[in-house]
Amino acid sequence: MITFQNVTKTYKGSTVALRDCSIEIDKGEFVFLVGPSGSGKTTFIRLLLREEMPTSGRIWEAGKEIGHLSKWRVPYLRRNIGCVFQDFRLLPNRTVFENVAFALEVIGRPKHVIASQVPQVLDLVGLTKKSGNLPGELSGGEQQRVAVARAFVNRPLILLADEPTGNLDPTTSLGIMRLLDRINRTGTTVVVATHDAGMVDQMRRRVVELDHGTKVRDQARGVYGLDSAVAAAGAGSPTGTMVEAAPAPVSAARAGGGVPTSRMARTRNGNGNGNRNGNRNRNRNVGS
Amino acid sequence: MPVSAGYVAREATTNLWRNRLMTVAAVLTVAVSLALVGSALLLKQGATNATSQWQNGVNVRVWVDPNASPAQFTAIGTQLGQNPLVKSCIPRSQAYDYNEAKRTVAADEFNATTQADYPSSYACVLTNPSDATAVVQQFTGKPGIFGIPSSPTAQIRTMQSVIHILQWVFLSVAVVLLLSASVLILNTIRMAIFARRREVSVMKLVGATNWFIRLPFMVEGLVQGLLGSAVAVLVVLSLYWGIGLNTTKTVTNQSSLIAQMSMGAWEVAATCILVAFVGIVVGVAGSALAVRRFLDV
Repeated sequence: MITFQNVTKTYKGSTVALRDCSIEIDKGEFVFLVGPSGSGKTTFIRLLLREEMPTSGRIWEAGKEIGHLSKWRVPYLRRNIGCVFQDFRLLPNRTVFENVAFALEVIGRPKHVIASQVPQVLDLVGLTKKSGNLPGELSGGEQQRVAVARAFVNRPLILLADEPTGNLDPTTSLGIMRLLDRINRTGTTVVVATHDAGMVDQMRRRVVELDHGTKVRDQARGVYGLDSAVAAAGAGSPTGTMVEAAPAPVSAARAGGGVPTSRMARTRNGNGNGNRNGNRNRNRNVGS
Repeated sequence: MPVSAGYVAREATTNLWRNRLMTVAAVLTVAVSLALVGSALLLKQGATNATSQWQNGVNVRVWVDPNASPAQFTAIGTQLGQNPLVKSCIPRSQAYDYNEAKRTVAADEFNATTQADYPSSYACVLTNPSDATAVVQQFTGKPGIFGIPSSPTAQIRTMQSVIHILQWVFLSVAVVLLLSASVLILNTIRMAIFARRREVSVMKLVGATNWFIRLPFMVEGLVQGLLGSAVAVLVVLSLYWGIGLNTTKTVTNQSSLIAQMSMGAWEVAATCILVAFVGIVVGVAGSALAVRRFLDV
């Protein structure tokens, strides 16, 4: 799904943000991108959004080499990528519903699609009751849920999150992580850049560590850093399966819950793989 | 991807309303500058119409009696050619005069005549235009001559030079104003882009196409240009009716300058269309520049 091949990114003033970085992320994976500030995490995300171009090396994403993508195709690439940020980036003068609907509106989706998709995804993130509220009336965690809903409403192949819990307290962060995990289980590839050590340690997912732009670690079912690794080993990794064991309060897309599979099938088929059955399975997994 | 017209209209209207003071300033500047352009064009057209009979320096027309024999016609030509005050003379046939009348005489008067009613003539250029009266006196009453109107040289010259100066003053002021109108429109659009930068960043993030993002801003500039040119068209039309440029030229009012300058509806319409076109160009140019410069898509 995502391939970095010897990618180097140098900004003006010869700041090296990524150095000869090669990473392979498969479809459906959940990857934590960790490292201190300035280690190149955000650059990694920006390269995937094609807000930046690599100085050297090649990047494949959703089956396309994005270095060869002409400028007018970039919006179509981004329709396959959802993105969540630390600062939520919601529109303050629009309600929760309108914020999520906006993402579909501006890519020209018809009204009836918006009317069916938005309530569904709001149900998934557990904000059905707040759909008429303005972002300013919500807590930080709720606002981030809206941002996740907006990123996911178009059923992207890839969901990127740049410090999604950076502004949130640990309990709220856990809720967001559960949400991302649930989205991951629908088959969406999820990449989370974070320095929230506790979260990474609890989730025990693949961890890619960057330091000064260089990949220093790529570990399946990893932890945040060396200290955490020691701590986790000492404590016998008590929370390793916490997420899987957590109850799912949201019943978004139960089987037969009216998930518009045709729309999803179109997206998947457009990328050459996937079929209706696969999509139905994905949907059933949501919130199960 | 089709951009829905309703969406674009809604967004553009919201932007215009949000920025209404700047919008009014931009529209008024466009209106004033285009009104000047329109007036200059109207004056130029009027001057052309007023002098169409007297083009190429023709000062005196010698109209030959329609009943004169060809020999008389030739004789008059020879006399004119030998006169020291006359520089050159071009003989004009009945058909030529008939066609000229079609342009210079009001339609209802013209339709009442046939080609046979028009005398053939000589169009004479004098060595010195101020000798026109002398030439008229020398030839009036000679056999075979029907009439000798001379051009209102002094009047036309003054009018021409005044209109010439006015035209250039109007046009140069208009160009400066049009430039400032473009800059004002550019600034309005820049402010609209700034006011909507959050929306724009989200739109880019979720994959709205570049034209989807740009179009409402471009339409906003277009609307400002159009509103400005609509006001300018009203000014041009009121000028047209106000000073009586729609007067039909007749034999009785032919000596009046305004009647000389009068023009048909289609000439005014052409001026208005040009004014509207310039307004659109100014609006689109201003907003295109703003979008290119400030909307990083």
